[in-house]
Amino acid sequence: MNSIKRLTALTRAGVMESLQFRLGTVVTLFGNLIYLALVYFLWKAIYDSCGSSVVNGMTFYDTMIYLILATAIFNFLEMFIIWDMSRSIQSGEIILHLLKPMKYRLYTFWSYSGTHLISFFLTFLPTFIVVMIITKGAIPLGWNFLFFVISLTMALIINFNIDMLVAPICLYTESTWGINMVKETIVLLLSGATIPLAFFPDSIRRVVEYMPFRAVYDMPLTILLNKDGANTMNGLLSMLGTQLIWCIVLTIAGNLFWNHAVKRITVNGG
Amino acid sequence: MANEVVVMKNVSKEFKVLNRHEGLKGSFQDLFSRDYKIVKAVNDVSLTVEKGEIIGYLGPNGAGKSTTIKMMTGVLEPSSGEIEVNGMVPYKDRTRNSENMGVVFGQRSQLWWNLPLIESFKLLRDIYMVPEKDYKDMLELYKSLVDIEPIIHKPVRQMSLGQRTLSDILAAFLHNPGIVFLDEPTIGLDVSMKAKIRELIKGLNEVKKTTVILTTHDMGDVDALCKRIIIIDEGKKIYDNDIDHLKNYFGSYRTLRMRLEDGTWEEQVIDEKKTDVMHVIQETQKSHKIKDIQLEEISTEEVIRKIYEGSKAYE
Repeated sequence: MNSIKRLTALTRAGVMESLQFRLGTVVTLFGNLIYLALVYFLWKAIYDSCGSSVVNGMTFYDTMIYLILATAIFNFLEMFIIWDMSRSIQSGEIILHLLKPMKYRLYTFWSYSGTHLISFFLTFLPTFIVVMIITKGAIPLGWNFLFFVISLTMALIINFNIDMLVAPICLYTESTWGINMVKETIVLLLSGATIPLAFFPDSIRRVVEYMPFRAVYDMPLTILLNKDGANTMNGLLSMLGTQLIWCIVLTIAGNLFWNHAVKRITVNGG
Repeated sequence: MANEVVVMKNVSKEFKVLNRHEGLKGSFQDLFSRDYKIVKAVNDVSLTVEKGEIIGYLGPNGAGKSTTIKMMTGVLEPSSGEIEVNGMVPYKDRTRNSENMGVVFGQRSQLWWNLPLIESFKLLRDIYMVPEKDYKDMLELYKSLVDIEPIIHKPVRQMSLGQRTLSDILAAFLHNPGIVFLDEPTIGLDVSMKAKIRELIKGLNEVKKTTVILTTHDMGDVDALCKRIIIIDEGKKIYDNDIDHLKNYFGSYRTLRMRLEDGTWEEQVIDEKKTDVMHVIQETQKSHKIKDIQLEEISTEEVIRKIYEGSKAYE
């Protein structure tokens, strides 16, 4: 029913739109450098004060690679669905989106896809290549990269669904800022994007393992860096499988919640 | 039956609105208040629209126009009553229903802000799955109706409001829908742009036989485009008939102004049911010498104003 052309047309528009903002990419890269400088000195201090070169099974080097790539993934995954949706609800523009002959969630996802494609090539890949050159072979390059791309795609879908589960809340609360901050903090902390999961206390880590956030940052990174858990075929498949399950579960949940939330527009008016 | 594009039967729409209290104390009360009142935005409206009609859907601000349009497009569910557009219930299968609909909401745009207009067109072509040939024919038609060359390669964000509205109307007709909703399309536009847009809407309606539902506060739009108008106020339909009939709504009035020999203008409102213009002129000529005359028809705007004010007077 939905021909592929519909979807790729949206991707194409997204690519063209994000290419309009060349300067934005430069600013993002610059912002990252400042953030990464902060991360560098923070963790340097942590490792220095520990007195041992390996903390929780990770060397300073490992931690830095992990966090730099996590930042790159963050830029790749970053969507402004929550902002965009609340703005379009407040302005009433959402009606125009609802009146497209496509399901709103599908339409939204594919509208963003172009932006992600561009940020993969313009921010993630350059960062990755720079890290690879600097670390001279610390990152194994082979099949794992292919699996990483698959894993990252699923991370994107999971992240999209988390956002789509949070965004309609603004239909009920009529405010967005706080909700967005809470969501952002939870995802970044529990996914391992700010602190590698290896540093979490065992009890908390066990809880986090059963949450979808890990599937957004930690799993793709573990696969890319070919670390424990992803370096055997079984481990790899179970990670990809876990991601797939989260994709399905969250897509269903997101769909249900959205259908419920959209009633608020159709019943109570925008 | 097949000719009816919109059928509404006893449609009502109610909203639940929280009763807000005044002041700081009131604001805190509101946090826990369950004190809702029901507001009837649309109250028992029935109407049918036939294929190819341009309907002027009028009413004062807050009369329930937008609510009706939203119900017709399917973004709002009616609280009671039946509604059918293009033979389907709009809110039940909104996605499929919108394939055969076009919308322009005054100040909002469905175009891709940062892309040249032609890219938005191509995107809409793909989203609505318009066959290549139909798409090309439509662009040809557009070219014959308006000069789109200067805007077709311009990013939408660089357009003037007039150009953008024009583009939005073109975008709404692109997939050749059975019905197009235009919600205040000429709001904020200059006179010549308004004329251009009216011509475009008229042209598209004639060639494609597209049904158009037009809400506006500009009676110029109504005079130029609509044969039939529907007026609602406070959610109720108060008028639904030809525009010609409207002018006779309060009797057929005309204003006759005569300049007499001393240079003063004598003004007289003539009710054609009682007398006629020639008679008044003859009568006046018996006592004065008439140097010049002016005859003014009552404007649509005046009639509408009378209707709006009249409906309030019933309260």
